[in-house]
Amino acid sequence: MVEMKPIRMDEAARYLGYGDTKPDETILALMKECEAPLLEACHPAYSVGIFDMECCSEDEVRLAECALTLTGKDIVKHLVGCTKVALMAATLGPGVDMLLRRLQLTSMPKALLTDAMAGAAIEQICDDIQSELQGKMPLYRQTWRFSPGYGDLPLALQDELLSAVEANKRIGLATTDSHMLTPLKSVTAIIGLQDMTKELRKVATEDGDAISAPVGACAAGACAGCAYHESCLSRQDKTTDETDVLQ
Amino acid sequence: MIDTSKILILDGAMGTELQAAGLPVGGIPEVWNIEHPEAVTAIHRRYIEAGSQVVYTNTFGANRLKMAKAGYPLQALIVAAIGNARAAVVEAGRPDVKVAFDIGPIGRLIEPLGDMSFDEAYDIFAEEIRAAKGADMIVIETMSDLSEAKAAVLAAKENCDLPVFLTMSFESNSRTFTGTAIASMALTFSDMGIDGIGMNCSLGPEELLPMVKELYTCTKLPLVVKPNAGLPDPATNKYNVFPEDFVQIIRKMLPYGVCAVGGCCGTSPEYIRELTRVVREWEAERDAYEADKAAGAAEMAPEADGASAEDGGFYPDDYEELTTLRNTRPTGIASASKTVWFSEPRCIGERINPTGKKRFKEALQNGDMDYILGQAISQVEAGAEILDVNVGLPGIDETAMMVRVIRELQAVVDVPLQIDSNKPEVLEAALRIYCGKPLVNSVNGEEKSLSSILPLVKKYGAAVVGLTLDEAGIGATAEERFAVAEKIVSRAEAIGIRRENLQIDCLTLTASAEQAGVAETLKAVAMVHDRLHLGAVLGVSNVSFGLPNRDVINTAFLTMALQNGLTLPIMNPNSEAMMGALRAYRVLMNIDKNSLAYMDAYRDWKPAQTVVVAAGTAGVPGGTGQAGGAAGTPAQGGAHIGAPAGDTVAADIATRLGDGAASLYTAVVRGLAAQGTELTKSLLGTMDSMDIVNGVLIPALDTVGAGFESGRLFLPQLILSASVVQGAFSEIKNHMRANGAENVSKGTIVLATVKGDIHDIGKNIVKVLLENYGFTVVDLGRDVEIEAVVDAARETGTPLVGLSALMTTTLPSMRDTIVALREAGLSCKVVVGGAVLTPEYATEIGADYYGRDAKATVDIAKEVFGC
Repeated sequence: MVEMKPIRMDEAARYLGYGDTKPDETILALMKECEAPLLEACHPAYSVGIFDMECCSEDEVRLAECALTLTGKDIVKHLVGCTKVALMAATLGPGVDMLLRRLQLTSMPKALLTDAMAGAAIEQICDDIQSELQGKMPLYRQTWRFSPGYGDLPLALQDELLSAVEANKRIGLATTDSHMLTPLKSVTAIIGLQDMTKELRKVATEDGDAISAPVGACAAGACAGCAYHESCLSRQDKTTDETDVLQ
Repeated sequence: MIDTSKILILDGAMGTELQAAGLPVGGIPEVWNIEHPEAVTAIHRRYIEAGSQVVYTNTFGANRLKMAKAGYPLQALIVAAIGNARAAVVEAGRPDVKVAFDIGPIGRLIEPLGDMSFDEAYDIFAEEIRAAKGADMIVIETMSDLSEAKAAVLAAKENCDLPVFLTMSFESNSRTFTGTAIASMALTFSDMGIDGIGMNCSLGPEELLPMVKELYTCTKLPLVVKPNAGLPDPATNKYNVFPEDFVQIIRKMLPYGVCAVGGCCGTSPEYIRELTRVVREWEAERDAYEADKAAGAAEMAPEADGASAEDGGFYPDDYEELTTLRNTRPTGIASASKTVWFSEPRCIGERINPTGKKRFKEALQNGDMDYILGQAISQVEAGAEILDVNVGLPGIDETAMMVRVIRELQAVVDVPLQIDSNKPEVLEAALRIYCGKPLVNSVNGEEKSLSSILPLVKKYGAAVVGLTLDEAGIGATAEERFAVAEKIVSRAEAIGIRRENLQIDCLTLTASAEQAGVAETLKAVAMVHDRLHLGAVLGVSNVSFGLPNRDVINTAFLTMALQNGLTLPIMNPNSEAMMGALRAYRVLMNIDKNSLAYMDAYRDWKPAQTVVVAAGTAGVPGGTGQAGGAAGTPAQGGAHIGAPAGDTVAADIATRLGDGAASLYTAVVRGLAAQGTELTKSLLGTMDSMDIVNGVLIPALDTVGAGFESGRLFLPQLILSASVVQGAFSEIKNHMRANGAENVSKGTIVLATVKGDIHDIGKNIVKVLLENYGFTVVDLGRDVEIEAVVDAARETGTPLVGLSALMTTTLPSMRDTIVALREAGLSCKVVVGGAVLTPEYATEIGADYYGRDAKATVDIAKEVFGC
């Protein structure tokens, strides 16, 4: 289970538009004042499902034994080099929504700060879930979190993603008519998992510094965007291309 | 009816069994009812053969929303599902096995958590239930939201005559994901005519055991339990409790009123087989024990206590204690997350009521929800445990207003509500959508009232206040009122309302007008308490009408009434003296154990300071440090704040309007709310209201706005200053109201977060700032229907409509709203804003202005209104 930790105030300040500037003492004190009620209102919960990547074309990724099909060029690019996919849904729970509504009636400044802090809190929960996953699957490298609505991945997939991890039943997460998540402070994400052993084995069997992309990457048909583009032995396109390197 | 003399064996998981048969994760299980009927029937049959006496149809998600992409009509999927279950019953040659039509959550959350209305949820469930021909009973399961569960139960009760089981899913904190508490579920449904209540899914039997015990103490309904096979491993999705362990823990639950038991996710026929064996074994042992006990008791009859000495033999140690609590606990009322048992005196806040409150009437007339909700929050913060809600006012649609106020109240406060109206249609609408179990205020002894209101109380399982008056009016003596109370009780019981759901109001008379009557009221309270053994309600503050220093009278009367048996005082929780008396009573009567609640309430208490208020303080021009005097607590920093160095505006204000005005200016610029309010109060003694607004507040906002635009200040600072101005405005409005002056508005602006979008904090920030600048804002809220925007624009004749959207996916809805405004022939300008908008897109969708941020939107409003 994930637990709430103190809120990352610098992150919250970033959401408030501060950039690298530190908020003044008044605002920082007010943020501190908002922290305890927010932590009390948070009941974080999450659901994660791990699936094998079954089939990948230029604009579609299918997962083994899962009804969800991810569509669009951007998600294909995101999952290049991955053999598995983790689907994740996480929420701070409805208590935070109630707190924010109440604060908007009693103190708009606190509402604004708490809203940003809750944003920082759910991202932190997601980071913790990824760390936990890393602990359980140490031989896999994780991509960053890609969510429905990013790039050309339809927001409408939100509903099917929730079904795939039974998020409604397991963590009480639902969508609205327009595919928005409720409770409001919730995140869904698609995380690619790259099998590092395959990568290492490849290095050991090849002489010199050549490596090959992990199984599945080439099938993605996105050779130019592949993280292993530069050094891949089985590269289809042998011309050098510096752009679009993922990592 | 369900025969609960023997424990019913339910079935186990359907979903995981279907997945084992090849259904992909995230696939639609109900499609298999038609495409693989043999597989579904085989699963049912295996459960029947393992011992299930009830099988749940494969219809958990069979609602029109989830089945939209199934490729088959909803009706066909449901008919096929019931057919498959029925086929299994026939194949197994077990006609005694019941087919239960299974209903799971819709997958959308009801307002205020989500965007679905209660009526829509009801409609979706009703459609399912009407399609479920041929089922023997209805099982509503895995519910998380109390409102949704209530919609489903009402749909079942109103659309079929079948028995109904309801089970909700609780987490390890004994609450559902949406915050529903076990006791809240129990109170909400115990009197709504269902046949079994309990919990399923989410956790294994070990975790559910203490929750089953808690539920046992909260309801007299039979309990239904379907735990998971432990918890799933996120990587492998395998559950971690095996059949032998599963049933041994279930066995421990059986004494606590369990009438039906099965398994949920991860369980299989193997679990059910083992369960059947253990349940029957337990029943045999229990029957043998009870028979022995009866025989023993008969033999040892002269020595009365003999049998109970051996009770430790069969029932668990806590069984007797929990059973006593279950049988002796008075009822209570509940919201989704909070239960108020009528076991001790509880404060009902009286402030949501227009009677005698000019400001509240105005709020009702203008639909000013923020004011009404603000009243609720302040009462709860002051210690109210229940809030009375009365919105009756000539000229307003009381039903619509009651529904709206209850819905919005339940989104911001968690205390249960008392629905206050004497109109059956208002009460019914409110009882329907109320999330939890409310207290109805009220029924009285008149025939008309008894025959129209008691059936509503019965149907919706509410508690009700009985007013001791009838066609003859209010009886002068306690005995007359007691007779009316008895009549109400007997009429309620006659239609099946449990008597503990009645609370009797013996009616407070006004000491200034009917002095002798006060003692009669107190006597009647004592009679209700002693002879009817029911709780008593009184509108305490009524006693002091027409007398000075009302708090003194109120507090004394409250204490006397409590001593006579008053349990539910309707009072002003913001009165420190009355709340103090109530808290003290709880301490002195040994209710507040170890004075914990008392000490918590006065944790930060300090003896009142003697404040020397110089004569004419309020009139003294600012800058002398006396700004805070009038409130009794000196405002911190009420002293001269001083202008920020180099701020020429401050210097100019000081020169023209005095140091006090300059101090207020600075308080706004620096975001000092308490000082801002106190300084405004003080200035109102010497300055004209509009001079304060135009000469001090607006220039201060302009200064902060300029800092924000230049990137020197950030949004929180802008909003902090805006909230200081908000406080100052509230003082100015009070002052103007007290002096009979009309509020001056720069014009009306309609604001809405567009249809489909539920993120509205941005719009609310814009609202605060616009109000700061003297505009009247008609706030339509979030997820607003296009027609509602058009209607509001037409009705107000506003020259400016502001639309907000956070997500790219709701931008089309913004465009459609603009198109509708244009098509309606309205000449208003439209300003749009929101995180994903760009000036280009604003132009593309036909908006007149792009509001980059709240400050920019104010500038646009000023331009449109020419001010």
